Amino acid sequence: MAVTFPSDVDDAAEADRRQRLSDLLLEVARALDPNVATVLPRQLEADPRLDAVKSVLLRNELDVLDHLQHTVDDPAQLADTVSRVLPHAVTLSGERDERLGDALAPAMERATQSSIRKNPGTLVNILYPVMGPAIRKAIAEATSDTLQGLNQALRFAFSLRGLRWRMEAWRSGTTFGDIVLKHTLVYRVEHVFLIHRKSGLLLEHQAAADATSRDPHLVSAMLTAIQDFVRDSFDDPSAGDGGAIDSLRLGDLLLWCEAGPQAYLAAVIRGSPPEALRMTLRDTLAAIHEDLGGALADYDGDDASLGDLASRLAPCIKQQVQPRERRLSVWLWAIPLLLLLLGGYWLFTRYAENERVADYVERLRSEPGIVVTTAERVHGQWRIAGLRDPLATATQELLQRAQLDPALVVERWEPYVALSPNIVLKRLRASLPALPSVRLALEHNVIHVHGGAPPDWIEKARLLARALPAGAPPVDLSDVTDVEDPEYLKLREDIQSQRIYFSSGAPNPTTGQEPALDQLAANTKAIMEVAHRLGFSVRLALVGHADATGNQTANLGISIARAEVVRSLLRSRGIAPELMSVRGTGTLEPLAPGAAPDDMSSNRSVSFSITTISE
Amino acid sequence: MLQKKICLLGAFGVGKTSLTRRFVDSIFSDAYLTTVGVKIDKKVVSVGDNQVSLLIWDIAGEDDVSAVRTSYLRGAAGYLLIVDVTRAQTLTVARSIRERVTAEIGDIPFLCLLNKTDVDDWDISDVTIEELNSQGWTVLRTSAKTGAGVESAFSDLAQRIAG
Repeated sequence: MAVTFPSDVDDAAEADRRQRLSDLLLEVARALDPNVATVLPRQLEADPRLDAVKSVLLRNELDVLDHLQHTVDDPAQLADTVSRVLPHAVTLSGERDERLGDALAPAMERATQSSIRKNPGTLVNILYPVMGPAIRKAIAEATSDTLQGLNQALRFAFSLRGLRWRMEAWRSGTTFGDIVLKHTLVYRVEHVFLIHRKSGLLLEHQAAADATSRDPHLVSAMLTAIQDFVRDSFDDPSAGDGGAIDSLRLGDLLLWCEAGPQAYLAAVIRGSPPEALRMTLRDTLAAIHEDLGGALADYDGDDASLGDLASRLAPCIKQQVQPRERRLSVWLWAIPLLLLLLGGYWLFTRYAENERVADYVERLRSEPGIVVTTAERVHGQWRIAGLRDPLATATQELLQRAQLDPALVVERWEPYVALSPNIVLKRLRASLPALPSVRLALEHNVIHVHGGAPPDWIEKARLLARALPAGAPPVDLSDVTDVEDPEYLKLREDIQSQRIYFSSGAPNPTTGQEPALDQLAANTKAIMEVAHRLGFSVRLALVGHADATGNQTANLGISIARAEVVRSLLRSRGIAPELMSVRGTGTLEPLAPGAAPDDMSSNRSVSFSITTISE
Repeated sequence: MLQKKICLLGAFGVGKTSLTRRFVDSIFSDAYLTTVGVKIDKKVVSVGDNQVSLLIWDIAGEDDVSAVRTSYLRGAAGYLLIVDVTRAQTLTVARSIRERVTAEIGDIPFLCLLNKTDVDDWDISDVTIEELNSQGWTVLRTSAKTGAGVESAFSDLAQRIAG
């Protein structure tokens, strides 16, 4: 629509036009802003042209306002509009704060209560897949294993096998109930039936590989009938529609039933299943209800509507066989046993070695003339060191007595002179000629010499005793007697007074002395026998002499030659040559000092003496 | 294969068990009827190109309708109502059962079988049968002794519940 303004040019007309225009603008403002409308009075109500202007300027806005007004006024449209933004609005409100939840909570509670009053089954069906498994799991975990363990434990508590298992529990440190469970946990699920609860129709059947049964459809229907029969017969109001036979046992066969709102699982089990199997059945049934709850409720006998149920039941077909007693490999026990034996042998030998070494060291310490300063084991060898008198007992002998391997012991001994009575006694015995007639003994730390001995032996013993250092045990020679056998003395006198004479410058005896030589040989043999009888030995010393004529060298030679000749003559008469000593004195030891012919003749001779020797 | 639960209902002695014995697969003895009050049999029939497995709940006959265990009826897709043509009283019982079933599980397909038709001594008149027909009952004649009408009765019911 077009608007035409008057084209008057006078002032009044101009003022009127301005007034109208301002009123028109004010009216437009009123239309656009309700606040303006409340403070400014309508002034152009009567002006029809205003509506025309409004319709031109605000046509689009008015159309929008009309649409909005219509939307608000029509509940169906308003619901449609709100439903489009409500999810997003709820989401935003939930993210912002909790006021929406607080506001909805009372309404939700009333709605839930109303639903329960109206039909409790609805809420049960909703919550069953979630709450059922959770509650059962919590209760079952707390009680089932304990109860089953207790039952089994009571069953086997007083049997022979029970006693054996009790011993096993004692050895392994576990409870008797656990041991019983371990040995009896043998079962096999032979059949699993998923049965439509309302009609008793078989929804799915799974069986173990070699399990046999009659027509599963008939079995499931009859099972349902029996369930109904039991429920009706006992008329248990607490059971309601959800009640069902929980388990039946016939001999070795056990029937476990798990009931859900629309279907129930029946498992035929041989043996004693663990409580965990019941959890498997429950979880399987709950999962089926969760996924197929609606389809189960509407089930009309067409299996195709339920999809693949076989794979869902397959995990319920399980078994647990009694584990065979594992025989330990020979090596498993032989090797540890061998190691144990080796270890024991090593410990034993080590202990025995230590004992023997300790015994050996003790023997060393108790041995006179040995001082042990160190005995230690280094790198597999025993190192023993100390002081040892050369006359002490040889350590090798002691080592042998201790049954020790010489290679095991390394010894280092520093020599010293011991003053212990035994060693001093040994030293005297080693230093003095051994005479059978003489006995040296240690009595009260004093060395006593008993028996008879030649004077020179006694003299030597006296000298040795005097030479002992201070601190050595005293030597008592008071009991030793000088040997003065008359026969011995006479024979010695006869032999030592005997002479064999020679001509001047001749090494051979003058004629006519054979009887003297014979007598000399006889006397020598006799004195040797007497000395032997008395416990010592004697030696015949032959001393050659020469007269003062001639030079000294020739005289010495002739004197030696004369003694040698006499020895040969005595040897030929049975005197052993090793019992004779030969010495030439020339003119140095004349038998007659004068120069008279008789003296000269006496000096051309061989004289004899008897000396004692050690055995 | 489609499977359906059907029930055999009727007064005591109308021949329910005899009716099925020759025509069904069974693994349970008749002792269940006197103990649990029901015996389950199975019969596979053809409906068009499809096979339908009928799970037949042979429910023990009762003279007192209220004594029938209604829990056995739940989930049934149809039932056979057996009447002994030699005893009119069994029709009365059948009527009572019919009412009871309808009250319990609704108006589901059923057939009324007039059994023992091989016997001449009928106690139910054609007029009565006409009345039943007029009430919407489908009445078939069977003989457990000769087997006449039995197969067709099962097929007819299967057709009604699965067709």
